[in-house]
Amino acid sequence: MSRRKLVVLISAGGALLVAAFAGVVIATSGSSSNELVVYSARSHYGEEQPFRDFAARTGDDLTLFGGSASELYERIRSEGARTRADVLITVDAANLWRAKRAGILAPLRSPELEREIPKDLRDPGGAWYALTLRARTIMRSTARVKPGAVATYAGLGEPRWKGRLCLRSGTSEYNVSFVADRVAKYGPAATERLLRSWMANRPEVLGSDADVLDAIADGRCDVGLANSYYLGRKLADDPRYPVALEWADQRGHGTHVNLSGLGVVRASNRKDEAVRLIEYLEQPREQAEFARNNKEFPVVPGVEPAPEIASFGSFKRDTIDVDGAGRQLEEALRLMDEVGWQ
Amino acid sequence: MTSATRPPDGWTAVTLLCALLVAGPLVGLPLSFALAPGGLARFSGFVPEALEATAVLVAGVGAGTLVLGTALAALVSFCDFPGRRWIEWALVLPLAVPGYVFTLFALGLKLPGVRSQLGAVAVFTLVLYPYVYLLARSAFLAQSRTLLEAARGLGMSRRQAIARVGLPLARPAILGGVALALMEALADFGTVNLLGVRTFTDAIYRVWFNAFDRQAAMQLATLLVSVTLTLLLLERFLRGRARYQQNAARGELVPPVRLRGPAAAAAVIGPLLLVGLVVGAPLVQLGAWSVQAVGRGLLAPQFGAAARNSLLLAAMSAVIVPAVAVLLAYGVRASGSRPAALAARTATIGYGLPGSVVAVAVIVPLAWLDRRLGDVAGSLFGFDLGLLLTGTVIGLFAAYTVRFLALAWSAVEASLLRVPRQLDEAARGLGADRLDVLARVHVPLLRAGLVTAALLVFTEVMKELPATLLLRPLGGDTLAVSVWQATSESLFRTAALPALLIVLVGLAPVVAMISLSGRRRSELEAAQAAGSWADAEVAA
Repeated sequence: MSRRKLVVLISAGGALLVAAFAGVVIATSGSSSNELVVYSARSHYGEEQPFRDFAARTGDDLTLFGGSASELYERIRSEGARTRADVLITVDAANLWRAKRAGILAPLRSPELEREIPKDLRDPGGAWYALTLRARTIMRSTARVKPGAVATYAGLGEPRWKGRLCLRSGTSEYNVSFVADRVAKYGPAATERLLRSWMANRPEVLGSDADVLDAIADGRCDVGLANSYYLGRKLADDPRYPVALEWADQRGHGTHVNLSGLGVVRASNRKDEAVRLIEYLEQPREQAEFARNNKEFPVVPGVEPAPEIASFGSFKRDTIDVDGAGRQLEEALRLMDEVGWQ
Repeated sequence: MTSATRPPDGWTAVTLLCALLVAGPLVGLPLSFALAPGGLARFSGFVPEALEATAVLVAGVGAGTLVLGTALAALVSFCDFPGRRWIEWALVLPLAVPGYVFTLFALGLKLPGVRSQLGAVAVFTLVLYPYVYLLARSAFLAQSRTLLEAARGLGMSRRQAIARVGLPLARPAILGGVALALMEALADFGTVNLLGVRTFTDAIYRVWFNAFDRQAAMQLATLLVSVTLTLLLLERFLRGRARYQQNAARGELVPPVRLRGPAAAAAVIGPLLLVGLVVGAPLVQLGAWSVQAVGRGLLAPQFGAAARNSLLLAAMSAVIVPAVAVLLAYGVRASGSRPAALAARTATIGYGLPGSVVAVAVIVPLAWLDRRLGDVAGSLFGFDLGLLLTGTVIGLFAAYTVRFLALAWSAVEASLLRVPRQLDEAARGLGADRLDVLARVHVPLLRAGLVTAALLVFTEVMKELPATLLLRPLGGDTLAVSVWQATSESLFRTAALPALLIVLVGLAPVVAMISLSGRRRSELEAAQAAGSWADAEVAA
């Protein structure tokens, strides 16, 4: 190779490299600026048709960026005013509360949403609206535990379940939200007693709600705690799946319910489209689609839940107090650490 | 003229700049202790927990890979049995299976007891033993016949000779391999996170994303780095001795013992079962799940984008990282200065470092730069730059370069070392300047090293999970990220196709290595090729 050839080669290669680099940067950074960007913690629930329908209807590009709710919260927070997110969707109330408190969400007034959505399922200031509801309740083996044998959260702490209780890990958003809600409603002392009674049963701690259900089905545990839609998914796969749910605390305050919710990001410069997307997703037809796809409960009254879950009958749900529970998040984490819920 | 009075050399400057870009962020890690002295106190429970899990992993994976890797290496080096040539290469294949993919397979099949520290030890042992195996094997094959025969002449049985001469001679190589396997295990995030084992990498993730404390995450990362650096130093020390011994012990090959009957059958079936379990079964199961996923519409909606992103990121990194490596390696050679050599050492420190550590180290300076750049662009040109570094894949490329530079560097350097210095001098004496030497002497000779480097970087980037997860920009999901997300939701069928693609791509360098060795005549050469491949793979 001659020297001149090399110089030509290096400069051509360099130019090509720069062009390719720019191309890759552009290709992987979403697409145009004329698109609605949704940071969604729901994105790994598989295909959710309503988002596609909205994009098809309005002709807008819609980009879903996935991650856990807390990852997305941290990302928006660190991106600050330059974030490209227009809408944030979480799968739990705690991260909505965090996002609101951090000033990430813009208050949104929509008469339509206020009419459709019950009061405790939206932020009083309009920072967020619930999209779906998820009940966290008692799961039992249909083979080894009679219906009604355990009917309360406190019942999971009875000594007869020693070595027979399965729980998801204490870092799960759903468990943290559950505990924070208990602290807000019943105080730290009563909550600590409940948690200690569970821990006294030496629960097997698993990585996901689905694993809790599988452990019950396989006979490694008899009872556990999980979100109802995980059972719905299992039953949709296999109608003879040997696990049933019990609606907890029906004689007391009702079953604990968490929510997947969404709000408009304050730094968004496409707020009108963002609002339109939210209003679209809250329509009865789309609500039914969410319920069908992920077996959750719709937030709009009158929309039927998925048949797999409807078969367990209706239930009384505990009230949702996102602000109250949010203020107890730190206390909840401390308590769970203290009682050893890993 | 002495080097002290020489004007600053261009190549030294280039080398120093590379080192600064790569190692600079890492130097910032310990600063977090100064910036937020009490940061870690809030998470006081995390450190003993992580130390305990680390101790269990080090002991379990260390013992597991040591025994499995050495035994298999001894089997294929000292014994002969039908199909040995195939089996000795098949035993390398598990390197292509990332821990989190095997975990997906094990969790999806509900293998009992996987979700535990012991489960993690088993997974790591199965996918990481090839490091020990490769290094031990090349050490065994490099041992001279004369030494073992001398031992037998002194009255030892063949078995005694292997146990008392062969194994001790290979000890540095074996322990070096164990150190590498341990570094990989400690750097892992996907496996431990999915199995609920609370190591440092998992703690870093939880502190960052459940408690939103970056400073504390950096402090945890600093602690992890100190553990990893100890292993790295140990490995370099042992590897140095291994090299010396290999070179000292030349001679004829040891003739292998021919196994017959049940022994031969066991020698064939055992390794095949192992490779079948670690590579074959996951491939078949993932294939079956993929088919189901496609049939039932369970693929993640972003699958296409994730596959595209993985390929683009890997291909681009396979160009960038080796290019930096050539600059670095050539800079050291051309300048011959001590600072340049030191800079190269520093720049290649990143490989032993876990992806999550690199991500934490890279994001803080980049975010700071981003703000400055944005302000400058805004005030000077009235132009909104957005997040140029952290909002695009540029941040990711920075992390990949930090993490995989050593990999490319050792491949490039290995081929550069084979070019004798006299050749440079001869060319210079004939009137060529340095650029001429690079063009007409080095580039043609470096080609093989560059291809190896590109291939290694490509597959590593395809597999990389933690840094990608933490730094990926909007729309930047990759196959590895989709596997992890779907698996953590127990959606095994959704995770299967991306996982399958990762394994298939990962098989490429292993298969390339096998076909390369087929072309070589001498077994010793093949063994050394394997050794240098392992070298490159693990970047000593």
